[in-house]
Amino acid sequence: MTMKRTLLFLTFLPALWLTVAAQPASTGPMPVAAPDLLLDARRAAYLARAQETLQWYVDSIKPDNPATFNAGQIAAKLALRQDAAQVSARVVEIMKGPQSQDMFWMFPWTAISFLGRDQLTPEAKAAIRDAWRTYFPMRGDTENHWAMYYTSLYLMTELYPDDPASSWFNGKSSAENRAEARDYLLHWMDLATTIGQGEFNPTHYIGEYAIPMLYLTTWARDPEMRIRGHMKLDWIFADLAENSLDGMLRGPNARTDDTSVIQRWFALATYFNWQCFGNTAPPPGYGGFGIYFAVAAANYEVPEVIHRIATDRGHDYLQKDLKRTRRRWRYSDVLVAPVYKTNYMRRDYAVGSCQGGLIDPIQSHVWDVTWAVPDPRGVHNTMFSAHPYSSSQVMQTYFTEFPDHMIELLASQGKPSYDVPDKILGGSPFEKVFQDLDTVIALYDIPAGTRFPRINGYFSKDLVNVTEDKSGWIFAQGGNTYLAYRPLAAYHWEHLLGYKQVTSTSGYKWERVDRGEQGDKLLVSPHLKNGTIVQAASVSEFKDFAAFQAAIRALPLEFSLEPVPVVKMKSLRGQEIVFAYDAAPKVNGKKIDYSKWKLFEGPHLNAEKGSRRLAITHGRLERVLDFNTLTITDRVKPE
Amino acid sequence: MITSTPLPRLGLGLAAGLLGFLLAGTVSVAATHDLYLCGAFNNGSRVMGSKDGSSNGVFVRTAPGTFSHVGLNYPLAISATFDPRDPRVFYVACLSGVLRTLDGGATWRLVTGWDETEVKSIAVDPQEPDTVYAGLPDGLVVSRDRGKTWQRAERGLPERGKYTQVVQADRVKRGRVLIGCETGIYLTEDAAKTWRRVLATQETVDDIQQSPHDPKVWLSVTQSAGALISRDGGLTWQKIAGVPSEKALYNVAFDARNAQRLAIASWTYGLLASEDGGMTWTPRVTGLPEKSRVWRTAIDPDNGDLYVAVFGQGLFVSSDFGLTWRPGGMEGSSIQTFTFVPKSGR
Repeated sequence: MTMKRTLLFLTFLPALWLTVAAQPASTGPMPVAAPDLLLDARRAAYLARAQETLQWYVDSIKPDNPATFNAGQIAAKLALRQDAAQVSARVVEIMKGPQSQDMFWMFPWTAISFLGRDQLTPEAKAAIRDAWRTYFPMRGDTENHWAMYYTSLYLMTELYPDDPASSWFNGKSSAENRAEARDYLLHWMDLATTIGQGEFNPTHYIGEYAIPMLYLTTWARDPEMRIRGHMKLDWIFADLAENSLDGMLRGPNARTDDTSVIQRWFALATYFNWQCFGNTAPPPGYGGFGIYFAVAAANYEVPEVIHRIATDRGHDYLQKDLKRTRRRWRYSDVLVAPVYKTNYMRRDYAVGSCQGGLIDPIQSHVWDVTWAVPDPRGVHNTMFSAHPYSSSQVMQTYFTEFPDHMIELLASQGKPSYDVPDKILGGSPFEKVFQDLDTVIALYDIPAGTRFPRINGYFSKDLVNVTEDKSGWIFAQGGNTYLAYRPLAAYHWEHLLGYKQVTSTSGYKWERVDRGEQGDKLLVSPHLKNGTIVQAASVSEFKDFAAFQAAIRALPLEFSLEPVPVVKMKSLRGQEIVFAYDAAPKVNGKKIDYSKWKLFEGPHLNAEKGSRRLAITHGRLERVLDFNTLTITDRVKPE
Repeated sequence: MITSTPLPRLGLGLAAGLLGFLLAGTVSVAATHDLYLCGAFNNGSRVMGSKDGSSNGVFVRTAPGTFSHVGLNYPLAISATFDPRDPRVFYVACLSGVLRTLDGGATWRLVTGWDETEVKSIAVDPQEPDTVYAGLPDGLVVSRDRGKTWQRAERGLPERGKYTQVVQADRVKRGRVLIGCETGIYLTEDAAKTWRRVLATQETVDDIQQSPHDPKVWLSVTQSAGALISRDGGLTWQKIAGVPSEKALYNVAFDARNAQRLAIASWTYGLLASEDGGMTWTPRVTGLPEKSRVWRTAIDPDNGDLYVAVFGQGLFVSSDFGLTWRPGGMEGSSIQTFTFVPKSGR
């Protein structure tokens, strides 16, 4: 079925990971953010990281095993300008076989075509070119698919600008394909810069946007497309920098997965933080797709203002963004719905959320508190709750499929958690969330008869001092962060079972793994009217853990669950919050009006809805990306 | 246009060798139709970006139980139709848009642009074959020039609620088309200049078919409203008693040789058959690999053989209208559509 399309991070990665012994940056000590922000030092470190990725790929080739010499290794060798004859021969060999993987095929071979312009033999170039005639890649059904598909098609038809329709897989000429690709890419950029990014803050799919935009920046002949690619790449990385805590992209995420949602570091997004900012270790295999950024990374320079946003956690900040959902084909009043996203960032932790509901049918993550740790590898440094929602009709809202097979196939396609009661990934139409700074209230009003009538609260194996207080609060500490979690209905504890892939010849199979008391815990609250309140604070704000607990206990809190959940409380930050499931939240008596939400609003990113213009700011540094005038304007604001 | 394996029975001026192949592969002496299928062999191949070496897309029957892949290798081909004046002109609705061949499958072109995606159904107006309708997840487009250009044609359709699963052109009245949407059945009588709703549903209408015996009789099956019949050309609809409606019904088929025989495919109920014009229905699943998961059904207009496509398991055929079944080829495949193309005129 057409739904899923994840791929390949998870598919590529284990194979790659096993092929070579170690990655210098991934397995070594955690990098220390360089204090030197001067251009030459940042640039040298950035290029060295790209070089490391390229070399690791080259080193992964085993001479006696052609299966280890594929598109990633070919691209790496071409980027390093090594062994053109050997690379050409391998290209010819690969092109003799059947091609597959659709747009995931298109962008690597686009990169290889450009990198190999002056290196590949005529036979190798012809073999690749002919594959664009004989192999029909599907366009896909998500924005990330289309970004890859149309960027690749645009660039390849610029590389071969006058070829006839008979020479392309879809029977359209170079000129026709180029015009269609350009039209779509402009349409997509217009959407993203006026009503918000779809598939926002994805832990893996960021690569499927960043890599195509890098390729536009690098290889587009049309200067307009080149600058558009550059501006969109800046836009994506500014958003990544703003939302990452020490190199970990945290929630909310339009799309993530069962692993990344709890081990926040384990994501392709981490590769981009490492590559661009050097403030974390890269994931195994450089995230699988990192190689395809690395091959052209030298053609992009991370703006200093974005670098500073990514690495400076010296000041707390609150950022509010407008994003949008995936397309809803049916059973919805709107084609896309707005997503109101809040991001509160501090040195020790970050709190993020959107308003709840359904963003993407299968992989969204609505809210969390994520804390900083010295080394995030293997650490589950996050806390949240979720309603495990599963619905064929909702799947049909987003996918153009018949109802009955989708859930079953999801599991066999590598998304085992969609229809399990203990799932922690995904949104629910019966969850509403409000965040004020580092307080999150999630309310649930689940109709009777709903599959999985329970709330799952995620309690990491890496929490310490988990204390069930008689006040009803559960206190805990993660890193230098104190946490207070308040379930609004009775609960019990379960072990959160993991997923272990098992050998199978018919799709993805798995078994559940119980790690016992050493594993994560699930707070299970099997009540339809429900809620969760979480507050966070830095350890440094209190004399000790007991003082934090006392402060929380002392705060006024009233709640009721009938007829709908309602919370009235005072937060640690002194805010009077009223949040009812069926009404707009109020802070200090003032109603939150989402209709006034801007595209970006905060100390670092600012854009009006519909403006096509983003101002990226850090201190006195400012970069303005203006898609109306296609200009990038840097300035240093006067003191 | 990419060169590909031609649709063997669509090409005019066939070479002698090809003609010999066609004659040798004749399904039955009396066969007057070729059977084309849209299908895929590996469900995994329907996942974007997956590795797959199998051939998928359009297949043609070359002998009983034997099918050959023709045209492009495309895993998500959903629906196919042809120009009755010139069966070299063939249209395939697929994930990427509408594929068209004008030369019997030797070359193909994706004739739609980026704004038409995930096409669910395609229909040629038999009375005006330059006009082609394509049902989309966000409405409908029409081409008046055999697929060269396309225009939105949604006046009268709701702004939301026009997810279009099926398009059927009336075979006797020019410009008359019924479409099955998420909010019901809509009718145009002016070639999609305007639409009006003739049946309201809560969920998607999955299939609409016109009787080959009486053009005023139409059947539809739905996701949650059961099966319905219209005896006035689709203007009014009545629920068919005896067909369950709790779960989705996927498609419905008439027997062109016997007006009493009807079949419905359902993931949940399997194959439902009627041999009394729809008065009573019985499951006919004994001998199938599973009692359910029937994705599509069709009845061969030449001999009345009943086909079912079981999801991921290929085709099964019955010559006694479902009492017994035998494998029908395409083992391991999932079939999206059966298209019977008359041999006449070629």
